[in-house]
Amino acid sequence: MVRTVRRILALLICVLLLLAACRASRSPTRIVYGLTLAPSGIDPHVNASSELGIPLTSVYDTLVYQDPANGTFVGGLAERWEISADGTIYTFYLRHGVKFHDGTPFNAEAVRANLERITSADLASQKARFMLGPYERTEVLDEYTVRIVLSEPFAPLLDSLSQVYLGMASPTAIAKWGSDYQLHQVGTGPYMFAEYVPGDHLLLRANPTYAWGPSLYQHRRAQVEEIEFRFFTDPATRSPALESGQVQIMGEIPPQDAARLADNPEFRVAAVPIPGVSLMFFLNTQRPPLDRLEVRQALLYGTDRPAIVAAVFGETSPVAYGPLAAVNWGYDPAVQSTYPYDPGQAASLLEEAGWLDHDGDGIRDQDGQSLRLDLYLMGWGYMPEVGQLLAAQWAELGIAVNSQIVSYPEALQIAGEGRHHLMPFTLSGSDPDILRRFFHSQQGFNWAKVDDAQLDAWLEEAARASTREERAALYSQVQRRVMEQALVVPIRDYVNLNGVSARVEGLRFDAQGWFPWLIDVSLAP
Amino acid sequence: MLTYLGRRLVQGLAAMAIAITLAFVAMQLAPGDPATALLAASGATQQEVAERRQQLGLDDPLPTQCLRFLADLLRGDLGSSWLHGRPVGKMVVEQAPATIELALAASAIGAALGIGLGVLGATRRGRWCDTLATALAVVSLSTPTYWSGLLAILVFSLRLRWFPSSGAAGLHHLVLPALVLGVALAGSVARLVRVRVAEVLEMPFVTAARARGLPTRRVLAVHVLRPALGPALTVIALQTGFLLGGAVVTESVFARPGLGKLVLDAVLWRDLPVLRGVILVGAAAYTGMNLVADLAVAWLDPRLRERLLPLD
Repeated sequence: MVRTVRRILALLICVLLLLAACRASRSPTRIVYGLTLAPSGIDPHVNASSELGIPLTSVYDTLVYQDPANGTFVGGLAERWEISADGTIYTFYLRHGVKFHDGTPFNAEAVRANLERITSADLASQKARFMLGPYERTEVLDEYTVRIVLSEPFAPLLDSLSQVYLGMASPTAIAKWGSDYQLHQVGTGPYMFAEYVPGDHLLLRANPTYAWGPSLYQHRRAQVEEIEFRFFTDPATRSPALESGQVQIMGEIPPQDAARLADNPEFRVAAVPIPGVSLMFFLNTQRPPLDRLEVRQALLYGTDRPAIVAAVFGETSPVAYGPLAAVNWGYDPAVQSTYPYDPGQAASLLEEAGWLDHDGDGIRDQDGQSLRLDLYLMGWGYMPEVGQLLAAQWAELGIAVNSQIVSYPEALQIAGEGRHHLMPFTLSGSDPDILRRFFHSQQGFNWAKVDDAQLDAWLEEAARASTREERAALYSQVQRRVMEQALVVPIRDYVNLNGVSARVEGLRFDAQGWFPWLIDVSLAP
Repeated sequence: MLTYLGRRLVQGLAAMAIAITLAFVAMQLAPGDPATALLAASGATQQEVAERRQQLGLDDPLPTQCLRFLADLLRGDLGSSWLHGRPVGKMVVEQAPATIELALAASAIGAALGIGLGVLGATRRGRWCDTLATALAVVSLSTPTYWSGLLAILVFSLRLRWFPSSGAAGLHHLVLPALVLGVALAGSVARLVRVRVAEVLEMPFVTAARARGLPTRRVLAVHVLRPALGPALTVIALQTGFLLGGAVVTESVFARPGLGKLVLDAVLWRDLPVLRGVILVGAAAYTGMNLVADLAVAWLDPRLRERLLPLD
């Protein structure tokens, strides 16, 4: 009897151990990805944060995809498309057999429901709505054919439709969850939205039925079963999280930490250039003394940009010479020859404009007024550090700079009222139409306060032009004009430094530079 | 007792009303327009921004906005976040547990450490223990949590790998941030306790208790701490109330969810509905902890009980 009981116990223990081993061996592969901002809202149709796109680009498919190598568009949820001769009607022929993660079929009605949601006033979209430009309506021609109608040509539309903000969500889920949809998102992508605890983590799980990825994906299905996102808003905590193994991928590593990680064989640094407008300082052309071209040009000649970039960003960032990042299509390399560092030339220009140091205090003056510039900085993107170095360089020219750090809303107000001399900004975007936002006289980000009918005309025409060649030629003229008129002091092109564990393979980013294609990521043992 | 509680409740509601009103006024006076901040980078035209301002009710006079908020509040509706697009009530409920557990854990650590250091210093006055306890208290008071938090991550997460540096998934995620905040609180508690305990130790009733042969531990625990802990308890309770409103720096350094991060975003983006909601919660917590402090002090010291809670 006792022997029998012992045998049964031994058998039970073996079974339990086997079960434990099986459970352990069936643990899903998981990568932990560090995000650098807790997204201020995570619904891509509503919110504007670029951080939300990092996980959600793999939850949502888009109608088209953009090749980061050359900027051309390939089919996604739309197999092919046609654009009318006048550029106002886009007809998309949708892929068959696509299903949302909740089983809802993807079709033309789903596209219409998505675009109507994005453009509804109730949703109060902060970004997606405006990416559609002069959108009028969506028409369903048949189950798999949908037409987007614009009130006027809008060349950036395909670029917009390739981004997660215009990703296709399940109409069933949207109707079911209402204002809570953010916590229960449903797309058609290679990963499913499994769990989101705001401020803590977001979990994606591989979609086992995914079979309709664009040709740009290297794999048919996700390689890693689960990807967990955690938030590391403080830059000083990002490298420690990576080095301690809490995360396997971390974005926006500070430059000084990137240099150290690159020397460690357990990690590598994936430096991804971000398209858009460079980090640049806008010169308020309506506020004296910057209303004089000579003074603005003097600031440019008097700026040793390579020295500033080396000091703040090390070797991780290219110097910017124009308003558009070099990685953008439409970038004109001619801007590289404008304004080499030449303090002698800067001094001559200032003297030509009547600014000399009459009272010997080290600051130039004219008619009793000192040459003092008001510089308003925001506390992100290394603007304070760059601003400090600029002020130091210009001090040697006899220019005094009053610097102040302000919040983003306050900066917008100051810029709107024109109380600044200088204010920096940087913004990402793969379509050069982003220049219109900053240099068109009627746009809110016209911080240089420029009112140039020629610039306006080129920017408007480029937004309507039908071919990339036409658009590139127009943007080339815009960039040259901006630099001829010395509207900005460009500093550097943005580069996202991603710290990556050596075990992670296949990490690639889309044309926006921020958003990884997680379907191709794998984890070596 | 009931009269006292009723009076405190009315005072608490008045404090919350004042806090909310100040929030309204402060946000009106703060530079920057919420609608512009939300839409400027997206390429919205001036007209679209103006339409959004109208939609958010920003063009309404301040008294109208206040009345609308009060009417919604009475219906239990805290409004929707302008930035996140979600109901404020739900957002506060989601973030509050992480803040509450951090606040309570930090207060417990701060209280235990502070009282311990204070008693040690007071009972070993002039000796090296007193010097050490005072030095630790001064260090904890003067060390910013941002720095001590990063140091804790460097030592305990990166080097020793004892605790994670981020998240709020369990008890082990709580240890480091709670320690950082608790140590910061311990300094002020230790100084108060040391002074009060040293005073009480000189009192005749303590001498009498010792003369009766009571053990030192019993003298301390029963006869000394009860009258000495009053001010320290008040500080602990008020600090806990403060932490319940969100420890912004610690939550940021340790990548923890919580009300601190929520309110920081609300201030930076002028998200008034969220700010109002978190201020309401913070004011309620502070008022509540104030009351808890007074009741605790009254419970400890019968002489205060009669003054604070006169028999009806």
